[in-house]
Amino acid sequence: MKIIRLLVLLGLVSLGATSAFAAKKKGELKLFAWSEYVPQAVLDGFTEETGIKVSYETYASGEEMLAKLLSGGTRYDLIQPPDYIAEALIKESLLEPIDSAKLTNFSNLMPEFLNMPHDPAQKFTVPYMVGTVGIVVNTEKVTEPVLGYRDMFAEKYKNRIVVLDDGRELATAALYVLGKDHNDFSPENLAAVRPILAEWFPRVRLFDSDSPKTALLNGDVDLGLVWGGEAAILWNENKKFQYVLPSEGAHLFIDLLAIPKGARNVANAHLFIDYILRPEVSKLISDEFPYTNPNSAARKLLSPEQLANPASYPVTTRKLDTFRHIGNVGSAIDELITDLKNTR
Amino acid sequence: MQSLPGANPENPHARRPGAMGWLLLAPMLGWLALFVIAPMAILLLYSFCTRDDLGRVVFEFTWSNYARVFDPIFLQVLGRSIGYAALTTLICVTLGYPVGWYIARQPPALRNRLLLLVMIPFWTSFLIRTYAWITILKSEGLLNATLLSAGAIPQPLELLYTPGAVLLGLVYAYLPFMILPVYGSAEKLDNALVEAAHDLGAGPVRAFSEVIIPLTWPGIAAGVLLVFVPAIGMFAITDLMGGAKVPMIGNVIQSQFTKARNWPFGAALGIVFTLLFVLSYLALQWRGRRARS
Repeated sequence: MKIIRLLVLLGLVSLGATSAFAAKKKGELKLFAWSEYVPQAVLDGFTEETGIKVSYETYASGEEMLAKLLSGGTRYDLIQPPDYIAEALIKESLLEPIDSAKLTNFSNLMPEFLNMPHDPAQKFTVPYMVGTVGIVVNTEKVTEPVLGYRDMFAEKYKNRIVVLDDGRELATAALYVLGKDHNDFSPENLAAVRPILAEWFPRVRLFDSDSPKTALLNGDVDLGLVWGGEAAILWNENKKFQYVLPSEGAHLFIDLLAIPKGARNVANAHLFIDYILRPEVSKLISDEFPYTNPNSAARKLLSPEQLANPASYPVTTRKLDTFRHIGNVGSAIDELITDLKNTR
Repeated sequence: MQSLPGANPENPHARRPGAMGWLLLAPMLGWLALFVIAPMAILLLYSFCTRDDLGRVVFEFTWSNYARVFDPIFLQVLGRSIGYAALTTLICVTLGYPVGWYIARQPPALRNRLLLLVMIPFWTSFLIRTYAWITILKSEGLLNATLLSAGAIPQPLELLYTPGAVLLGLVYAYLPFMILPVYGSAEKLDNALVEAAHDLGAGPVRAFSEVIIPLTWPGIAAGVLLVFVPAIGMFAITDLMGGAKVPMIGNVIQSQFTKARNWPFGAALGIVFTLLFVLSYLALQWRGRRARS
């Protein structure tokens, strides 16, 4: 009896294995992207249309993506690096070129998001979504105007603030307040940043990069330094959550689609990128994750309320900065943050 | 899991395993070699390397990672983690020992039901249980809502994102790991010995400290090891319930492998942390052996 049970089990296992193998024959795509960034409907629609099976793995930070990509575990076909990491990857020749001639919908992209500093020749990346980092204010609890970092980290808001758990974002905020180059993390600048952050940290209630909107919705905090998309969701939830780009300085970030070197399904990856660039598909992404959509054809399909969301489409005359690759210095920033968190 | 046995020369049944013994042990040894020893060796190798601009490991020998471990910043983090873990262990012993003892004293049918009650939370994911605590403790959560509506407090208590919340999370997560070993030890305790102590004139306090504690020491030791060591490295609770405000050694190691992209330094921290475990294990062994002799 035991032998029979074993044989049945083996039979089931091999059946499962062959069916997985069969799916592979139709074509697959290994997508490695941010968590909470690609709606299931988009993936399902792509599979339905092309028969290509998409496996969607996620990460919660650009550095995590880089770590997993470089460790060489899985051969990803499509990745979604933020701009400064894409810059590093291009510099180290770790990306396959993307043939924009193959992308029929490429012209939908707005020119202001092309040929950016990380990829001046527009050869290796395609913009996915754009966002900003700014200040969310619960205007029901905070009645005075908050226009920038200095206003936000005032003593009277002690213990009512949430910030991103991102060393680079926090150090950049301090550099803006100092009026220095936001990409310059030399030892002198870091030394200047230290006392500012040392003043801010004790006033912060919690650090959260995954879902800072939770604390704001819970009523645990009244102010937050958050991702633009989170702020947009908050605004959709309740108009009391106003979004402000800090007066001292603000940056935007572009998340891009790129093909890592050694990818096995380059053709499928191009198909997927072209699919994403379709206005109706891009609209689906914007519906679920209200970041700034770089696709002009998609923007035409959005509702007036979506376009009026101050966090999705901030009204500003300023030219927003971008992050550049900083290399080894990331480690020094992390040490500074750990040290400051230590001494609260 | 009972005691921490060393080689016991007096055991008449002890003998070296024959060929069949080695065959049966082989899968386990293979698994250990592949998934414990090999990764530790890789970690040891990495801890002596450096990293390049992009965060990849470069095979150049250096002591700098270990030197950095003893930087005051990280020693402080380690000290704090040990402090929290020690406090957690203390609270777990204080709360868990009476529970384990009580359950062991019950009739078998009731005993099993009580044990089931202790173990049922494990059927739920650890992360979900931690999030449940957040729902209870947050400003608009269950606890504050109950207290406010009862008129006990004028304003919501800010319980979440404090060191107290982290301690609560840690004790909640590790309490069963103390109760079960203590129960295991207490169950084997022969009540006749306690009665004999009473007959010989020992008061309840003396009977407890000189008879019961030494006899259940293996359970306490196992419980302490199961609580103290994992609690040092626990980073999820600091992040979720502590608001990621106060870094523990687990957080620092995790960020080396993700945000800071400094694998060699993370490896060095890991090796030092492992040595700490080995030392505490040896200390408990020595204490146990001293108690036996």
